[in-house]
Amino acid sequence: MTSGRRTIALSAAAMVSALAVGFVAIALTGKDAAGGYSRVLDGAFGSTSALGETSVKAAVLTCTGLSVGVAFVVGLFNIGAEGQFIAGALAAAVVGRALHLPTAIHVPASLLAAAAGGALPALAAAWLKVRRGVHEVISTIMLNWVVIYTVQDWLVVGPLRAPSTSAEVSSSGTGQIEVTAELPRLFDGSRLDIGLPIAVVLAVLTWLLLSRTVLGYEMRAVGANIEASRAAGIPVARRLYLAMALSGAFAGLGGAFLILGTEHHYPGVFRTGYGFDGIAVALVGNSHPLGVLAAAACFGAIRAGATRLQLVGIHPSFAELIQGLAVLFVATRAPFAAALDRVAGVFRSGRERLRRRGGSP
Amino acid sequence: MILLLSILRSVLDFAPPLVLAALGGVISERSGVVNIGLEGMMRVGAFFACWAAFASQNAWTGAGAGIAAGTAFAAVHALVSIHGRADQVVSGIALNLIALGLVTFLLEATFGTTGTAPVETLPELPSLLGRSPYTYVALAAPFAVHAWLHFTVPGLRLRAVGEHPHAAATLGVSVARVRWAAVLAGGALAGLGGSALSLAILHRFDNKMPAGLGFMALAAVVFGKWTPLGAFGASVFFALANAGVDAVRSAMPPSGPLADLHLDGILLAAPYLLTLALLAGFVGRAVPPAADGIPYDPEAKH
Repeated sequence: MTSGRRTIALSAAAMVSALAVGFVAIALTGKDAAGGYSRVLDGAFGSTSALGETSVKAAVLTCTGLSVGVAFVVGLFNIGAEGQFIAGALAAAVVGRALHLPTAIHVPASLLAAAAGGALPALAAAWLKVRRGVHEVISTIMLNWVVIYTVQDWLVVGPLRAPSTSAEVSSSGTGQIEVTAELPRLFDGSRLDIGLPIAVVLAVLTWLLLSRTVLGYEMRAVGANIEASRAAGIPVARRLYLAMALSGAFAGLGGAFLILGTEHHYPGVFRTGYGFDGIAVALVGNSHPLGVLAAAACFGAIRAGATRLQLVGIHPSFAELIQGLAVLFVATRAPFAAALDRVAGVFRSGRERLRRRGGSP
Repeated sequence: MILLLSILRSVLDFAPPLVLAALGGVISERSGVVNIGLEGMMRVGAFFACWAAFASQNAWTGAGAGIAAGTAFAAVHALVSIHGRADQVVSGIALNLIALGLVTFLLEATFGTTGTAPVETLPELPSLLGRSPYTYVALAAPFAVHAWLHFTVPGLRLRAVGEHPHAAATLGVSVARVRWAAVLAGGALAGLGGSALSLAILHRFDNKMPAGLGFMALAAVVFGKWTPLGAFGASVFFALANAGVDAVRSAMPPSGPLADLHLDGILLAAPYLLTLALLAGFVGRAVPPAADGIPYDPEAKH
């Protein structure tokens, strides 16, 4: 098998193993595992509205997965996608409410604001890494909390809070965005909006950037060996900044999809976990943009379907358990593949020895 | 004066989980295994401590269960990252995700809730001079670990394995065995730290636990330059910052022009911003153990 095909096969095996362990876990607690899984399938694919839910979640997960994945390409681990997601969501909510424009301009303007909002904390982490030598895992964890607290406990309850005297439906969070900033929906009876096509285009563009351009080649070189890249004259710091800016922008767009497509304002409580899920999506998708797309579709379906698990008494956090297990199995992917090779090697050398002895037993 | 005393009291109560988890991180990372799963290990420690203390009506059993749960979780990390030579950061992230889902799942399965475990009568640990035993363990453990790392043969071996595993192996040290022991010990300390949250601080389990404390512990490891005493100092500093923020927040008037500014969020974010600023400027470049995060391959060229 080619290494690409084998990577895909091992990622798929990780997903299937995670689902199998999850099945056993449900069965062990004495609940109806088969019934639960069939409900997950039904909730993910069973109807037009279910498919809409799956695709909305897959679009957001594609963004956060691309976010973590593109940082991985240059060798950075962006755990800050959650904070960047929130920063982008808030930026989209603010621009979506403050401006008065036709849809054709208002939606792109809000999306751009979200991309910029998400890129900001990511660039701060890149600066801390490049200029001050602070490890990005630590800085992005810290920046997550900085963003979460300033947005959730200051901006959204303070300066940006919707005036309570207005006749608007919601009393907590920011005010409703203009109708012109809402993501247009594609069908009646489904929440599927233009977020999914945008996410697919982003994934394909990222794939083209990484595999077909000099810039992408240099980014991959920095990730493979930073010292060799520096020696080869690649502007390493600029590539790191670019990757983190893209990373933050993708996460911010994920937040914007949820605000402009579903919530239509920044709610008082908005802790979705999509940013952290992006880590799982990127790892299972092997940081390949198209792999991310496939992994996001899987996790989106599980997330959408998991809400139905409550009907058989299983908490939807089960989806997180499946994601964690899938990541654990992906972590063992390389050693697992090496073990397979070793087994194959033993068989091969055994056959060689037999042949040298002159014949089969 | 009263304010200072209350801050001191709050540090003595709230620092132990952070100190213990950070020490666990130091031991693991000094042997060369990055432990980003501290958060998950604290979480299972906190949950199983509450569960066992409630089931057995004995707080000591609870603390033991917390240690056992943290160690069991660490065993998965060790298996995957030492035995399987997998990416240690990925393995740690996976453990955090699994702990998040698994504990919510178990919380509902055992207590029928997804919020706070409805435990009215969680047995308490005996207190000494008004403080829980955790306070004293957290005050003594950093010095014990420091002495162990620097003045004993196993401690020297652990540091050697984290700096130059091939050299250590040449001298007959089993790299895998030392790392296994270090990761398990790290998990035990993180689990113990988690148990302090449910047994000594809140006296119940809340599904939000440990609310990022494991990641703070990780920052304390880096901030403390991978030394037990440094991590201890960093943890106490974080606890002090949090206590200060809490004191300021509770001193704020509930209404009026100051309350209308909603400065809560800025106050809550301040310790993290301060940490970033200190990491960026004050402590300079922190140098991790040379082999930290690198799977040991005896056949690799070196």
